[in-house]
Amino acid sequence: MPLSTEEVEEIRKILGREPTEEELAMFEAQWSEHCSYKSSRLLLKLLPTEGRHVVVGPGRDAPAVKLFKDFAIVFKIESHNHPSAVDPYDGAATGIGGIVRDILTLGAKPVALLDMLYMGEPWDPHANWLIRGIVKGISDYGNRIGVPTLAGDTWFDTAFNTQPLVNVACVGVAPLSILVLGSPKPGDLIIIMGNATGRDGLLGSSFASKPLAEDTDKEIGAVQVGDPLTEKLLIDSLQILVSRGLVKYVKDLGGGGLTTAISETCADHGLGAVIELEKLHTRQKLTPLELLVSESQERMLIAVEPSKLREVEEVLRSHDVTYSIIGHFTGDGVIRVFYNKARVAEVSAKELARPRAVRRASYPPTEALKGLKPLYSLPPEPSYEEALVKLLSSPNIASKRWIYEQYDHEVGVRTVVKPGLGDAAVLRLLDGSSRGFAVKGDANPRYTSIDPFNGAANSVAECFRNLVAVGAKPIAIVDELNAGNPEKPEHFWYFEMMLKGVAWITEELRLPVVGGKVSFYNEDYRGRQVKPTTTIVGVGRVDDVSKAMTMELKESGSLIAVIGVTYPELGGSEYLFKLFGVEEGEIPRPRPASELRNATFILKAIRLGLLNAVHDISVGGLAVALAEMAVLGNLGVEVSIDSVYARGVQRVDELLFSETQARYVVEVKSDRVEELKKLAQKLGVRMSVVGRVLDKPIFTLSKSSKTILSVDLDLLKDAYNSLERAIEGGA
Amino acid sequence: MPRIAIVKFPGTNCDEDVRHVLVNVVGLYAEIVWYKEFTVNQWDAVVLPGGFSYGDWLRAGAIAARTRAVEELVEARDMGVPILGICNGFQILVEAGLLPGALLYNDTGRFVCRWVRTHIERPRGPWLALAKDGQVLDMPVAHAEGRYYIDEESYKSLLLKSPMLRYLQGFNPNGSLYDVAGVGSEDGIVFGLMPHPERASEAHLVPRGFSPGGRVIFESLSYSLKRGW
Repeated sequence: MPLSTEEVEEIRKILGREPTEEELAMFEAQWSEHCSYKSSRLLLKLLPTEGRHVVVGPGRDAPAVKLFKDFAIVFKIESHNHPSAVDPYDGAATGIGGIVRDILTLGAKPVALLDMLYMGEPWDPHANWLIRGIVKGISDYGNRIGVPTLAGDTWFDTAFNTQPLVNVACVGVAPLSILVLGSPKPGDLIIIMGNATGRDGLLGSSFASKPLAEDTDKEIGAVQVGDPLTEKLLIDSLQILVSRGLVKYVKDLGGGGLTTAISETCADHGLGAVIELEKLHTRQKLTPLELLVSESQERMLIAVEPSKLREVEEVLRSHDVTYSIIGHFTGDGVIRVFYNKARVAEVSAKELARPRAVRRASYPPTEALKGLKPLYSLPPEPSYEEALVKLLSSPNIASKRWIYEQYDHEVGVRTVVKPGLGDAAVLRLLDGSSRGFAVKGDANPRYTSIDPFNGAANSVAECFRNLVAVGAKPIAIVDELNAGNPEKPEHFWYFEMMLKGVAWITEELRLPVVGGKVSFYNEDYRGRQVKPTTTIVGVGRVDDVSKAMTMELKESGSLIAVIGVTYPELGGSEYLFKLFGVEEGEIPRPRPASELRNATFILKAIRLGLLNAVHDISVGGLAVALAEMAVLGNLGVEVSIDSVYARGVQRVDELLFSETQARYVVEVKSDRVEELKKLAQKLGVRMSVVGRVLDKPIFTLSKSSKTILSVDLDLLKDAYNSLERAIEGGA
Repeated sequence: MPRIAIVKFPGTNCDEDVRHVLVNVVGLYAEIVWYKEFTVNQWDAVVLPGGFSYGDWLRAGAIAARTRAVEELVEARDMGVPILGICNGFQILVEAGLLPGALLYNDTGRFVCRWVRTHIERPRGPWLALAKDGQVLDMPVAHAEGRYYIDEESYKSLLLKSPMLRYLQGFNPNGSLYDVAGVGSEDGIVFGLMPHPERASEAHLVPRGFSPGGRVIFESLSYSLKRGW
């Protein structure tokens, strides 16, 4: 978004003169929504960011939390929505590159990548092209840099046919003692290492801060192109520099390029800088202005004491990493930029990095009423078999194997619970102990578009449950709020409500929000916002990875129990959409008190070794959760739904397909069921034993001793594995 | 104590994984050696680990195969030093002519990361000393260019006389000819394979229904370096 006339006026006032064109470009990059959070900054203060595990909260390139007393986890989320709409392959790939570099800034080793992809319907030709390009971009980039991609999330919806949401996250680990938390000092040299600067991604963050044009091809110059080999060299050489204590400050050159990296560093640490632009290594001849705002990828800034320069140069040279020394920090708070000795900009760092926050107008559109509408007349119930098969083959539920098999999810030899088998991924620390962590990304664009407050809260709750289901204690989350145009009050309302929903439930669940990102202007060329979406990535502590839980059924003869109470909450369900095309009604209510109680119960039961499998109940409801466990374990089940704890439920489909929160299905070892019941009683948890695991491949549900559904497991398996067909075509 | 070099090129990414298994699981001495610093004389065995040397530009393994490090490797082979190439390391060995055949783009056109089941034929040499003929080895693959190709004549004259790893029926992930997952030199001193044995050497990394099939390769090396082969 170009600067407004008021903003230009303000710049004149700051400088006390006419700005140069370089200065204007620097302000434009720095004051863009993407870099400055000007529309969201005031509301973001609502989020709880503190907690006893938090080492570094929001503010630096990435937050850090204490996973164990001697080990930190560094993780962050980012969106690459706009570039991926124009050039899905490079847009998604460079999203991965950027998020990894954020993790590197604290000196952590990147050990996991997540992609949360909200894309169009596979059968729409344009959406299909985007899906393939996005996944291939992530695959080619993530695989090449040797960081496993796992634990992501997907949703397929016609709302994203032309403007997908590509959210990516990275997790790094580091012993607490080596985290790079220092500040640069006056006199420290500014080194830019990595890729040569070129004319790509010019003002990319500004491009991301306005709606997409109808003819997106014209924006191609604003998309950067990735070079994973250089990224890998950055990762490897930074590990060496950090382990030898040669750098005390690292910063990514991301949105806003050199301008943002310099001005944020200076503003955060009360410094100024002298920059000699002609020293920057480049791919081609660039003007000073282009040098300042180019968003060429795979570049990082390091601050190096002059006495350590020689050693740093040796490491960079031996690792084939190109670099240039472009200036130094000063103590006076002013950024002075020269090009061949001629001054092209002189700006106070604080003024540049601190645009005024804007309080945007906000009001609900009439469309928001659909989330308040009780469902008083449901369509007649279909055949349950048809419903279950349709749900399992829905791209939102079906196995995501077509995606995760394109990602190297095992490199690093840390992946204990792999994609497709666990509600979250579990990775070991590989430090000689059996300690590890779980991580998962979640969102439900349908929920947040119907009811942004409760929908966003449910995204947090689902992430929380997914971590618990594998046996992890959740310790912190980061969030990405994907919203429409902040200048339109009826778009901004969704953002405001999503944010408040996250703030509310994280307080209830005592889960700090240690970092996050906001993406605005997610609207199509007609000005319609895509489904506003709250993406949550959470991490949890795992004391012993060998006890981590997966969801597939393991043993015939063991029992099946449902944890939690089921309510008639079909609003916003996959069932109503898939069977009847209805996307409205009250969505399931967030239930933080039950979430906490039931999580304590599940974690305790796992620790005591009472369970064989755990699966959280989410999209598709109880019937889908049971079917997934059966299909993945290749074992049949026999379940009587009469004994499921329910309140106010009148119809069978409400019981089978409601997406009520705070529920799990567990497989209980047959000789431990009494212990489990006692534990439930002690903790005040609603638990109902509903059936058992069979040694034959038949999936059977009954009510009042009458079979209401009985299907061959192969039929369900075929439905569950249908995503490849949906994307690649063919029978 | 025998010394093992794990040669790292720009873009290699399984070097630390292999070192972890050699050092912490099998108990050998292993070092990651930057390709510029690799010389033949100091090492008792060499592993080329997986990854994307030089970003897979041109063809997987093609650029690394033309480095001085690989010239040194040829010398090592002539001196009888055991050489193992895993995934990209296998691609490099094939590109360098140290092993026969070629590795083409997967028939699906996509990268694939998946556990597969293979079996070993004619095990011999330092990398397979403890494996039995026909033994089933489970390991994951993770590659985009792993479709093995060889002409029929060379298949009969070379492969059928050498140690070989084959995907079991239903597990060929990439359309490899003759289901070839890995091949060795006739004496087994050089061995290359697409699956990742280092990811299949510890029980808790193995998904249910599979077993850690990679470990026997590293244990064979340990055994062979101590006893000879």
